[in-house]
Amino acid sequence: MQSQLSRDAGTSIDIRNVVKRYKGQTAVDDVTLSVEAGEFLTLLGASGSGKSTLLNIVAGFITADAGRIEVGGRDLTTVPPHRRDLGMVFQHYALFPHMTVWQNVAFPLKRRRVAKAQIASRVRQALEVVELGHLAERRPAQLSGGQQQRVALARAIVFEPQALLMDEPLGALDKRLREQLQLEIKRLHHELGTTFVFVTHDQEEALAMSDRIALLRDGRVVQIGSPQDLYDRPASRYAAEFLGESNLFTGRCDGRTFVDERSGAAFTVAAGGNGVELRNGSALVVRPEHVMLAADDAPLPADHNTLDGLIRDVTYLGSGLRVEVALPDGRHLVTRTGTRSGLRPQPGLPVVAHWHAEHAVVVADDTGAAVSATVSETASTVAA
Amino acid sequence: MTAAPAVDLRPAAPRGQHPGNLASQPSRSTRKRWFDGWGLLMLPLALFLLLVFVAPLALVLARSFTDPVTGLDNYRDFVSSSLYVDVLANTFRISGVVTLLTLVLGFPYAYLMTLATPFWRGVMLIVVLVPFWTSLLVRTFAWVLMLGDTGVVNQTLLGLGVVEEPIAMIRNSTGVIIGMVQVMLPYAVLPLFATMRSIDRRLLQAGEGLGARPMTAFWRIYAPLTLPGVAASCLLVFISSIGFYVTPALLGGPKDVMIGELIVQQLSGVLRWGFASALAVALLVVTAALLLLVARIVNVGKFMAGDR
Repeated sequence: MQSQLSRDAGTSIDIRNVVKRYKGQTAVDDVTLSVEAGEFLTLLGASGSGKSTLLNIVAGFITADAGRIEVGGRDLTTVPPHRRDLGMVFQHYALFPHMTVWQNVAFPLKRRRVAKAQIASRVRQALEVVELGHLAERRPAQLSGGQQQRVALARAIVFEPQALLMDEPLGALDKRLREQLQLEIKRLHHELGTTFVFVTHDQEEALAMSDRIALLRDGRVVQIGSPQDLYDRPASRYAAEFLGESNLFTGRCDGRTFVDERSGAAFTVAAGGNGVELRNGSALVVRPEHVMLAADDAPLPADHNTLDGLIRDVTYLGSGLRVEVALPDGRHLVTRTGTRSGLRPQPGLPVVAHWHAEHAVVVADDTGAAVSATVSETASTVAA
Repeated sequence: MTAAPAVDLRPAAPRGQHPGNLASQPSRSTRKRWFDGWGLLMLPLALFLLLVFVAPLALVLARSFTDPVTGLDNYRDFVSSSLYVDVLANTFRISGVVTLLTLVLGFPYAYLMTLATPFWRGVMLIVVLVPFWTSLLVRTFAWVLMLGDTGVVNQTLLGLGVVEEPIAMIRNSTGVIIGMVQVMLPYAVLPLFATMRSIDRRLLQAGEGLGARPMTAFWRIYAPLTLPGVAASCLLVFISSIGFYVTPALLGGPKDVMIGELIVQQLSGVLRWGFASALAVALLVVTAALLLLVARIVNVGKFMAGDR
């Protein structure tokens, strides 16, 4: 049970056909997932998607109804949590309130009967990594939320676990602190080389931090891939809507032509897509940053799809503008542009929204009709 | 289609949904006044305590130095007789044993209460509280019927052939302790339960994740966090035990006289009011000294450090 002392001692984690049911509800539905050694994998999903349950099954706090958990090739399915040698960080910090910061961090080392002198040096090291060496004698209640979570991080890495599991660790922190800790956790991952499994419902966090993201929905992995994969080539309408903002058209796809069911407009799309069978009941996804605006008499490249509209709303974002274009059929299209683009968008201005065929992705429409669409109904509000 | 549009069409939080909210929020004066109109509400209780607690205590204190003659005679009598000091020591011994036993019995009980489903927690709570609904005297007599030589317990044991002779369970400290533990159990269980309920059980999980066996996690993490409750229940039980009268009088023997009995005997038996007063004062002083000592050792406040 001796933990490896070398750095970049990442260990792979294999989740095989794991199932967990709660009173008729399936929280985790036959998930098979491999986390590579040293990888930063994020389990992303809405609440109730089973991401937290899955992580707790890996940690051993929840017993799966079926399936296997292997860490570094060793079957841990029936091993109790205290012998799994996995570091865990919780949203609620879970620091021991009656112990000082120092004692909290020393706890896992004492349980492993590490020699006293070594405990001292390793605790000091771990606290230095999270830059809290000067607060070692404080009690958790005397620290801010961000400091507490950094203590929890130090405590989870001090015993050099095979992998670090994090269950929405930044969920209780405010935005600024969250972003700061995101960077720190990334740096930590880089320095330690340990395998990280990170759970979040925050798509921006997932995009910013992960090597790979596993998107979960209703207990199943609906897509797994790099942040770029998920953002640029979503496998489904659900994935497209969950990560980032998107303009969505529903309709039919035939070869390289997508027909919007609402307006009847035909758009050219890149061939092949991302391997989804292009058929009835599909949706076309165009990310806002790929939609460009031009004056309605400007010449446009031939391979661009176009839509006429009126600018409805312009929001200044500092780094750029977010422009909403009302379409004649009552929906609206969102675009993002730099502040220095040629056109000066103003509400009421007639424009042509256009995008390159390459930037439109056809996906399966796996969302029910009642779910929000970004190209949405605005008929009543546009008139004014 | 009631689909929510991308971002901007979400209606602002409906106004007037909680119309009472703003209006009902009293504008709180930041100025702290030491005494305002509400303070007057404390007056009846303060007067009551002054009349029935502080004044009599002062009288007792005064009488212990003046009755029958002015001076330290009463205290000299108390210290010079090993009999009286033994009674005081016996009082503390029995109270200590009772405190320990209620803790040993109450701790797991309170712990089980935190684990039980709401229904069973309710049942367990009622079981603890039932003694409160019965007169102390009735309960103590019940123990006489239970534990006496011809009582239920001995009859059963004799009938089963477990023992040849009845076991002496009353008229000795065993009876006193059994009776007192039963009376004091709720005072131990309730503060323990209150403390344990506020402990985050997820800390145990965190501890196990860090490599602690379940038992180690319990003793290193959970048990220390119960200490405020342990201290509170021990204090309550110990202080209440010291003043017991009915239970030792009915269940105890001549060797187990507690100071409460001695004071009553001096008051109504031999009418030495001054000496009885001195005993009461001595008890108060020794108890206070013990509590201070315990408070220094346990330092209950330490566990609360930083908990605002």
